[in-house]
Amino acid sequence: MSKPDEKKQLHMTVNGRSVDLSVKPSWTLLYVLREELGLTGTKKGCEQGDCGACTVLLDGLPVNACLVLALQAEGCAVETIEGLGTAENLHPLQESFLENGAVQCGYCTPGTLMSASALLRDNPSPSLDEIRRGISGNLCRCTGYTKIVKAIQHAASRKS
Amino acid sequence: MQNFEFYSAVTVEDGLAFLSERTEGCRIIAGGTDLIPLLRTQEVRPSHVLNILNVADLKGVRETADGIRIGPATTFSEIVVSEPLQKEALLLVQAAASVGGPQIRNRGTVGGNIATASPAADVLPALMALDAALEIRSLSAGVRVVPLTQAIEGPYNPGLRPGELITGIILPKPVPGTRGGFEKVGRRHALARARMNMSVVLRMDSNNALAEIRIVPGAVMPVARRMGEAESVLLGQRPEPDVVDAAADALAEGILSTTGRRWSSEYKIPVVKNVFKRVLQGLI
Repeated sequence: MSKPDEKKQLHMTVNGRSVDLSVKPSWTLLYVLREELGLTGTKKGCEQGDCGACTVLLDGLPVNACLVLALQAEGCAVETIEGLGTAENLHPLQESFLENGAVQCGYCTPGTLMSASALLRDNPSPSLDEIRRGISGNLCRCTGYTKIVKAIQHAASRKS
Repeated sequence: MQNFEFYSAVTVEDGLAFLSERTEGCRIIAGGTDLIPLLRTQEVRPSHVLNILNVADLKGVRETADGIRIGPATTFSEIVVSEPLQKEALLLVQAAASVGGPQIRNRGTVGGNIATASPAADVLPALMALDAALEIRSLSAGVRVVPLTQAIEGPYNPGLRPGELITGIILPKPVPGTRGGFEKVGRRHALARARMNMSVVLRMDSNNALAEIRIVPGAVMPVARRMGEAESVLLGQRPEPDVVDAAADALAEGILSTTGRRWSSEYKIPVVKNVFKRVLQGLI
């Protein structure tokens, strides 16, 4: 067994790419993504699972990256906002968010998009209630949610 | 946060071995939704953390001859989509569905809800109303099975001794006709700690009287318990409005006798009566 300060090896895939790095046991997945991998698209909000700003997909499921110890992601597939789309190649959800005015300060946006992308993967034609429930783990202080819900609805109807 | 030694158990046995060698300063992590915030604020400073989320034998919902067995590392999301639980323990499904939001439910586990033993837990009181028992193992003491209503020793104190691990949550097979309901009161529809929750299980006899009634309110006392004082008003009776009212009064009295009059009582007492009546009405 290792000493408390010792780093341990972590292997995971991030946005389809294999990643191997040494991490301290106390590091969260959020810390590793932002500080070790430079993937700062995932935001740090409350750091206690109350806001959803740090939402990423872990083996396809939306989770708060602040509540996953990095070593618990061993062997897992992590998807972050950087993997959803790029400036040159926006994901339909990202396009819809922009078209529908669903982005104000933008801080909740990466997390909300990740939740929405998982929702549409599982449920390509969600009802309004299902959309609301699907993003119920993402707090937004700016938009009042209406345009976010509309944007997700539009993206869903466009795909189908 | 302070650093610690981290080990991911592969089997129940090697998890128990790890625990038995480290009686001081060891914390168990499953979904981490309760533990990690405490680690971050350094409210807990363990020297060792045992990860049990990868142990296959601690996951899953299985129907057995006597009922249903739930692995402690089963997430709330997994509980919500479990067909056996939807059929036989809808109350548990409703309680699990009320926890946090999707991200929390994808990680938080039923064993964690029990082991944290927060007074505001949602799933813990529901399990009490379902007559759940805990299977607890350690290398030194073997297996013990304890009714959940007797297990919790105090707020945040699940009554686990050093070296012990919850290895199963056992629900007895309900008598046909048994129904359960759950309601949670919170400041939001999601991402809300319960201000109050209510679990009721009942079964009517052929005369429309209550052959069975179990009432467990949550987030109103340091430790949730069956409200025998309210159950005894209803048992064997038809749930007519005056009987239901008397039971609601007994429920409130019972809570107050445990907690004394608190700053929140002015709000919680009338609300707990109404929520109780609403959940009960929904089942009869």
